Order: sequence, then C-alpha cells, then structure tokens
Amino acid sequence: MNIIGPDSLVFGVDDIEACTQYLTDYGLESVGEGRFEALDGTSVVIRSKDDASLPPPLETATQLRKTVYGVADQKVLDDIEAELSKDREVKRLSDGSLESVDDMGFTLGFQVSVRKSLSMAAEAVNAPGAPKQRDVNVIGAEPDADPRPRTLSHVVYFVPDHAKAEAFYADRLGFVTTDRFTGVGPFMRPAGTEDHHTLFMIQTPPHMKGCEHFTFHMGGPTEVMQAGTRMVNKGYQSFWGPGRHIFGSNWFWYFKSPLGCNMEYDADMDLHDESWKAREAEIGADTSQVFLFQHREKWAPTGPPPPNKA
Amino acid sequence: MGLMFLCYLDDLSDREARGFDPWQEGRDSVFVVRKGDSVYGYFDSCPHLEGMPLPWRKDAYLDAAGQEIVCAAHGARFNIVSGACFIGPCKGQSLTPVPLTFSEDGRILARLEELTITPGRAD
Ligand code: FES
Ligand SMILES: [Fe+2]
Repeated sequence: MNIIGPDSLVFGVDDIEACTQYLTDYGLESVGEGRFEALDGTSVVIRSKDDASLPPPLETATQLRKTVYGVADQKVLDDIEAELSKDREVKRLSDGSLESVDDMGFTLGFQVSVRKSLSMAAEAVNAPGAPKQRDVNVIGAEPDADPRPRTLSHVVYFVPDHAKAEAFYADRLGFVTTDRFTGVGPFMRPAGTEDHHTLFMIQTPPHMKGCEHFTFHMGGPTEVMQAGTRMVNKGYQSFWGPGRHIFGSNWFWYFKSPLGCNMEYDADMDLHDESWKAREAEIGADTSQVFLFQHREKWAPTGPPPPNKA
Repeated sequence: MGLMFLCYLDDLSDREARGFDPWQEGRDSVFVVRKGDSVYGYFDSCPHLEGMPLPWRKDAYLDAAGQEIVCAAHGARFNIVSGACFIGPCKGQSLTPVPLTFSEDGRILARLEELTITPGRAD
C-alpha cells in the first residue's frame, strides 16, 4: 500500500481563537475554514469540539479527531477500501476520501495526497575533512530568518495495546516498523516514505488514549532552534527540548499547545529502506513510567526544579 | 518566609487564573484560580509528569469557558475546587494544593510554611 504519510490532523478544540493564534505563530499559514498549512500543503485543521461534521471524540481528553493519510493514487485508495472493508465500516466521503477507524478506535482518513513537491535547500554544514557543503562567502547564521514548517512529519499516539495497534498498521496498511521500544511501542513508516517514522505509539493505560504530540519537518537543526526561539519569544512554553532523538536521529523541540497535546518542530530524521533491520531497546519494566522518566531526564536542563522549602 | 503575598482578590476576575514565582526561579511554580468569591491555589505541576507546569503560555491554566483547569501537554482536566483530575492521563490523581490565607484588605497570601512537599523534586 503506497501510503505516503499524514496529510492532515483534524482537531475538535475548546478554544478556536487561541488555537488560531498559536498555529499561526508556530509558522503555519491560515488558509481558511480552520485549515493551517505547511509549505507543501499538509495541514492541521481545527474545528469547534461541538462541530457535528467531526468524527466522534475518543472517550479521553484528547482533542485529536482524525488522522488523514495521503496516498499515491486512486488505486491505493481502492485497495485500502477493499482491505479495511473486510472487518469494519469504510465510508466514502463526498470529497472522495475514505474514513474508517484503526484497531484502537482512532479515526483515520485516506485521500490522494495533497502534498506539493518542494524544491528547497537543506541546511548546509561544513566540517574539517569533509567536502564543502556551504560555499565560501555564504553566511550560515541569519538572525532574521523566519523559518516555515515544510511538511507534516509524524504523529504520536498513546495506545492501550501497542502490539495490537502495531499489527493493524503493519498487516492492514503496510507500515514497516523501523525501531521499537520493548513493551512500549513501535516507530513505523508507511511504504511510501523513507522517513524513520510517521507514526510512533506508546503503551499507556486506556484512559490516556490520544495524541501525545505531532510535528512538522523543518529545514535543519538551525531552523528548529530558530523556530523554537521564535515560540519562546512569543511567550509559549517549552515542553521538552531542544535536543536530538536517538531513534530517528531527528532534532526536536516540543511546545505545549491549546490543542491539548504537544506540538514539535523536527528536522533531519534518518531515512530507511527495506534493508534496514529494526532495532529494539529495552527501557524498563514499568512502561508507564518510562515516558515520565525520559522526560524528567531530558527536560531538567530547561529549568531547575523548585527548591524544597519544607 | 511564612506568608507570601501573591495578589489582591480584586486583581482577579471571576474564572481567572494567574501564576506566580514565589521562589524567583524564572518560571511560575504556583497558581491561583478565582471562582466566584473563592480562590483556590495549586502547585503548577501536572500529576502526569510531576514537575511539568500546566499552561501553554503564562496564566493559561483554564479552558476557554473558565470552567476547568487544563494541562496543555496532554489535555488533562481538573476540577477548580478540588484539584482532582477527572479526564486525561492523570485521571484519579489531584493537583497539590497551596494553602491560602485572605487578609482583611483583600490580599491573597500563600501559607508557605505549611508546605512539606514541593512538586518537581525527584527525591
Ligand atoms: S503532563 Fe499534564 S497531561 Fe501530560
Ligand atoms: Fe516527535
């Protein structure tokens, strides 16, 4: 199945005004009807949580209502429809897209991808001993740069059964697991991209089910730093970062958001093909604590804990 | 340090929340919410990831209608009066209250001497 990656994430939110300001400040372009686009046309869509046109909410706090995947062509859509119709309802919406659910209850959409192909340079770096990437007299640091998100990169779900969730995406939609945290969940990429992951899932108790974060790809680590600094300067609060992940190698910076999940900037993720053998890392027996522990580790440098005044 | 002045009751409108930095750490570590003529104080630390402050920008502790306290990181929602999380990742857990005192001239004071725990500490 030639699924390329997420085209759009649809949220039913509490505070449209705050989300509009936030997504614009993040660097997306407001194109109307609650749609905020990256440079290639991938998007975040926000509607009022009471909007009857939205798929029903999960029974948890999450405001994510739908993940819309872009696929190569109509043939792929037909294949997905045939496959998922075997055991669940697949709706064909008036815009020609498909709507169904995954095995965890997340609503999925599928459409012929809206992605425009971009022709832009990546951040260029030089290092002693390596062929020159940035030419003489070309300046690397641009304090006035206003970096824009290029494309919707990945979404991360809290799921109550990571093995079942992974099996659905692998067996039914042709996703490949690139790496895995034992007992926690897989990093997965659909067949139509080389990106290390467009989907990561984290095992949690059922009441946590929902969106942990999502992110757009930037042009390089410097753009992640500059875009993140732009957010900080506008008064938004960092959740975690900046830093660089081990699995996927992507640079990251996460911010809390009025969408009820974190929103990340990322850049320079590893690319993989069929020859890649998935790695697996143990992070510990108590999987609900793994996530907490990691964050505490990483986010401590952004500010000291309150002193104990007892 | 016994009583720490936070603000005047009149500084807050109904259903308004505000964060404070009583230990001058460069970020807010406690917040208060006014509901009617009552004010409730809590540590700015989400039970889901202890030590994680709740808002996505300064003072953004409430939902749009001012009915509930919200953690922006993963959307946990808390009762303003009890501090209990009723939906979200820390469902069943509660915010840690900061005991408040109200002076006759309308000042809101935190009774810091009564604090025996401070969220955010790993120990
Ligand atoms: S840190 Fe508050 S809901 Fe996750
Ligand atoms: Fe991410």
